[in-house]
Amino acid sequence: MATPKEMLTTWDKIQFGAVLPSFEDPKTKKRSKFHSYNYKVADWRVEKPVFNPDLCINCDFCWVWCPDSCILVEEVTTKRGKKQAKMVGIDYDHCKGCGVCVDVCPTPIKSLLMFPEHTPIEEALAQWPKKEDKKKD
Amino acid sequence: MAEKYQLKKTEVWDGNMAAAHALRQAQVDVVAAYPITPSTPIVQNYAQFLADGYIDGEFVMVESEHSAMSACVGASAAGGRVATATSSQGYALMVEVLYQASGMRLPIVMTVVNRALASPLNIHGDHSDLYLGRDAGWIHLICNNPQEAYDLTLCAFKIAEDERVRLPVTTNQDGFLVSHTAQVVHPLDDDTAYKFIGDYKPLNPMLDTENPVTYGAQTEEEWHFEHKANQHKAIMDSFPVIEEVFQQFKDLTGREYKTIETYKMDDAEIALIVMGSTYETAMVAVDEARKKGIKVGVVMPRVFRPFPYNQLAEILKNVKAIATLDRSAPMGTTGALYNETAGALMANGQSAILTNYIYGLGGRDTTVEHLLQVIEETQQNAEAGKRVTPLQGFINLRGPKLSFN
Amino acid sequence: MLRIRWHSRAGQGAVTGAKALADVMARTGKFVQAYSVYGAEKRGAPMTAYDKIDDNPILDHSKWMSPDYVLVIDPSLVYQEEIVENTTDDTIFIVTSHLPKDELVKIAKHLEGRPLYVLDAIKISQEEIGRPIPNTPVLGAFVKVSGIIDFDTFLESIEDILSKFPQKIIDGNLRAIKRAAEEVQ
Repeated sequence: MATPKEMLTTWDKIQFGAVLPSFEDPKTKKRSKFHSYNYKVADWRVEKPVFNPDLCINCDFCWVWCPDSCILVEEVTTKRGKKQAKMVGIDYDHCKGCGVCVDVCPTPIKSLLMFPEHTPIEEALAQWPKKEDKKKD
Repeated sequence: MAEKYQLKKTEVWDGNMAAAHALRQAQVDVVAAYPITPSTPIVQNYAQFLADGYIDGEFVMVESEHSAMSACVGASAAGGRVATATSSQGYALMVEVLYQASGMRLPIVMTVVNRALASPLNIHGDHSDLYLGRDAGWIHLICNNPQEAYDLTLCAFKIAEDERVRLPVTTNQDGFLVSHTAQVVHPLDDDTAYKFIGDYKPLNPMLDTENPVTYGAQTEEEWHFEHKANQHKAIMDSFPVIEEVFQQFKDLTGREYKTIETYKMDDAEIALIVMGSTYETAMVAVDEARKKGIKVGVVMPRVFRPFPYNQLAEILKNVKAIATLDRSAPMGTTGALYNETAGALMANGQSAILTNYIYGLGGRDTTVEHLLQVIEETQQNAEAGKRVTPLQGFINLRGPKLSFN
Repeated sequence: MLRIRWHSRAGQGAVTGAKALADVMARTGKFVQAYSVYGAEKRGAPMTAYDKIDDNPILDHSKWMSPDYVLVIDPSLVYQEEIVENTTDDTIFIVTSHLPKDELVKIAKHLEGRPLYVLDAIKISQEEIGRPIPNTPVLGAFVKVSGIIDFDTFLESIEDILSKFPQKIIDGNLRAIKRAAEEVQ
């Protein structure tokens, strides 16, 4: 069964016209139980993307391409006063580990790389390739 | 602001013009339509009213009836008062979307001018299209003349939009016999008509961008049944609201509508059951037959869906024989009105002799004389105390007598 | 109940004529029904239109009718026997023809011995309105022959019904109606 048990309801309490609200409270953006955000689908991941903020240029390619909206961003204002989406990390509750983000990352040394699921983040960042490594290739 | 239309106390309108004026007075926000005979003048007149400044709204020309109803669903979900009109093949093309509209609980009003379904092609009136949309989850109201087409279209908005109902409604009128027959109509003035319907109250409108909602969600086996049961209950429970709206309309105009209309049923020993303009022709036949001493009455479900089966059984409690007249070829069984009546009687432990007649397909004329024959045959059944006439007969069909037992 | 059947060709205005008559009579408090039987839906095809006028609401929605009046607004349809269908000896015929009554009956034998009125509505409409649309002159002749409504009241109602048209058309129609009333015999 695809639907979590706690979401199942009876005919007399069913959502009117199957019209599903996104938010329980629109003001605080509290997501409703119908929001697909509640479905955690990351458990089957075998490799995870790791984000290296030191190399990221905030081009947002990964954000555009991610099929599960797992690239977390926050709004920042640049020195020139322009609003920009700054990448802050990855939503590991919903990321299925497809690797698209790594593929589209344009920095000379990728700022997103795939690592085995059980590799701790610090360890992954420590293993990150250096410029010299690239030259040796 | 839309301009007021100056109406006379007495207008001579055909059913199409009557329905168009009702849509105008309802100040519908969006009409999306693909005009089709015989309902074309409804949207044509509506578009004219809009162009002349009598309506604040949008008329959306689309490329098919499927698109027309789809646009209506979108506009209604967006949060506007929405209406359209169609007939026959157009209705058939809409069917898929009719179920979407009712499942999403969108209070769309559709004025249907009933017409035969091809093949062979035919533009005239019968109930093939009405019966096609029977199970689509819409409330179906039947209008027998232009006055009723006007009155019930106004009522349709009030019923559909009631927060206890929130279901789409069709108002049905016979193609040509009502839609193109000019009769005396007493309209309400624009302000009174609009006040009767009231302002549209959106529910979960998609244009409320602060509170986004999903329309047309997928519900598989764990939810679909509960949704459909809930929807079925909503239409079953709509009777009190329909009756309430009819009562309010009577208080306003003096014109009375009931979920089941009856004529001379109080002392009737036999009854005809028929829907559409032929109900009124049958009233004339009943008067004629009563002159010959036959105690006959005629019954019409004004509301075809939801079907008032217990009320029908109550009305038929004392009759000995009943003829049900269906204006659609059931193609392989007895007609829909026969089946509904049989079910209603059975459910209430009643057992009048019941026969079925198919009549008026493709606009075939059904006269007082034809209905008198039906009355006479039904009287034979009542006198014999058992069925001595065929189970299913055909009225005014050329050729050797066709019947089924 | 007064029953009137119009014989016309699609495009000559029988439907408009029938609806106009219904409108005129409804203004006097009568109940009316105006409808037509559509055939091939093709300009020029023979068709019929109907009026029912009564003091009580009209319930009968069947198309069949035994008319009290038959109005034939197309001269060529006068020769078709369909115009006498479902009529009685009392049915009054008002037909348009360029022939005088006695000559017409010699050709249209089905009209022999029938109460018959003749006018040349085509000529009248051509001369007064400028187009061969014979519906209003035949309507004028009918009102004159039947005396169903006071002629001046009728003219007032017709003028109001035609008010959406240019003044020239309204005047032409009114002239045609008056002339038809004078010339019908």
